[in-house]
Amino acid sequence: MNALARATPWQLVHGFAVLAQKTVQTKLTYRLSTLVSLLASVASYGVFLLIWMAIYRENPRQGPLSREQMLAYLIAAFLVNSLLVTSVELRFGQRLRMGLITGDLLRPLGFLGFQMAQAVGDVIVNAVYVVPLFAAGYGFVGQAILPAGALSVALTALSLSFAFLIAFGVSYLIVQAAFVLQSGYGVMFLRASLHQVFSGLSAPLIMFPRPLRVMAEALPFHHEIETPARIWLGLVPLHEVPRLLAYQAAWGTGLVLAGELIFGAVMRRHQVQGG
Amino acid sequence: MRFFFVFYRTAIKAIAEYRVDFAVGVVTAVAMQLAALAFYWIVFTRAPGLGGWSSSEVLLLFGLTALVLGVSELFFNGIWWLPYYVQDGQLDRLLVYPVNSLTFVLMSRPELHALGNLTAGAITFGLGWSALAVPSWTLVLVPWWVACGAVVYTGVLVLVGSLMLRVVGPWASHLFTAHQVLNTSRYPLSVYPGWLRTLVLYVLPFGAAIFVPADFLRGHGSLLGALLWPPVAALGTGLAAKLAWDVALRGYQSTGS
Repeated sequence: MNALARATPWQLVHGFAVLAQKTVQTKLTYRLSTLVSLLASVASYGVFLLIWMAIYRENPRQGPLSREQMLAYLIAAFLVNSLLVTSVELRFGQRLRMGLITGDLLRPLGFLGFQMAQAVGDVIVNAVYVVPLFAAGYGFVGQAILPAGALSVALTALSLSFAFLIAFGVSYLIVQAAFVLQSGYGVMFLRASLHQVFSGLSAPLIMFPRPLRVMAEALPFHHEIETPARIWLGLVPLHEVPRLLAYQAAWGTGLVLAGELIFGAVMRRHQVQGG
Repeated sequence: MRFFFVFYRTAIKAIAEYRVDFAVGVVTAVAMQLAALAFYWIVFTRAPGLGGWSSSEVLLLFGLTALVLGVSELFFNGIWWLPYYVQDGQLDRLLVYPVNSLTFVLMSRPELHALGNLTAGAITFGLGWSALAVPSWTLVLVPWWVACGAVVYTGVLVLVGSLMLRVVGPWASHLFTAHQVLNTSRYPLSVYPGWLRTLVLYVLPFGAAIFVPADFLRGHGSLLGALLWPPVAALGTGLAAKLAWDVALRGYQSTGS
């Protein structure tokens, strides 16, 4: 804490950037493993895609979205998900188990900054892998995957930064749970389940049955995936975009602050493994 | 055999000590099944059937898949810890025990959240089964199919895990790829392209132990196929897994931690 108080803003920014860069280097060292992770998500997501294609084949009229719009949405949602997925919980769980967490708690950046810098590093590496996925998506659905215009690109960039904040905020909350549990896997998979259902990854919320849609709208997950994907594709009327961006910003800030509050409480009772 | 029994019982006792983890694990397993069912709900509000299967028939696939997953997690879950065993150097310790190393690794970390998958699977399967006019005696075959499916699923994980001894990564991403292929068995194979059907019927034969029995239960497939195809797939996958494990171990180099 003293180190944090003594550091200048420039030193903090520099430390943040160096940590993000180191994370990129680490992930690139394990590039084959990262590539395999990506293949896992392609395999998983392929199932959704194939099922929707079968549904449209058997029942061409699916109400709100045409087949072309639906496939473009699914690919855009997958790309957003691939871009924003981070290893915060896995990395933390590994370090906690190995008793290395003591050092992390003493970083001048603070625990939050330390985790966030690494998450930014994850996203930078993801961006490299998303480019060929985007090309493959273009090959699959053609121009339908392209953004609605230059404004859509700019607004999507803003929406993605808020979506990152939400994704990181949820991960940071899960990290707090891992402090008090023997294994953080349970809550991690719980998050994965909630994310899969409510983020709009498997279908836009407009295709949901009403009770499920009401639940999804009350939770932050759809702002991680559905909101940026719809803005990119121009499926959101322009006058609605500021409201959605405000929701995203509020959820992201709220989740990170909640995580930081819980972190303070957890630290008061945490005991570090003897090693 | 006695050694493995004592070893497994001790592993269960060790995990049961962490009661909050156990509760969270069960809730998580149920939540994961509910997540899959949520997509099922979305799909069947948009379509009356899928690939020639009704919504009740698809529930049989969901149930069998969850049961297979649950049994594998309960008895053979240790493979998920392989990357950590390699990285921490713990695999070296496991290899020097005078017992079969593969069985030892598989049984080293049972997951009690398997009970959540087993419960969710039994309920889902029961719902599908009760909605269809399936003869009662076929219930006797369900444990047989689930056991075969668990061997197939675990065998595929071991095949992929054996690669991990050569392609070391920070976590179990390789295994997740295989796990994701299991998810294909929740839906009728008829909705997938030919290459994927071939893959999940013959190469990573989850379909042989899940789809084939469910197809018989809904009155389409043959009894002979449902009786023989799952054990053949289990035997083939089990042998391939053992071979891959032995080959991988011969070239294994410790991390030296």
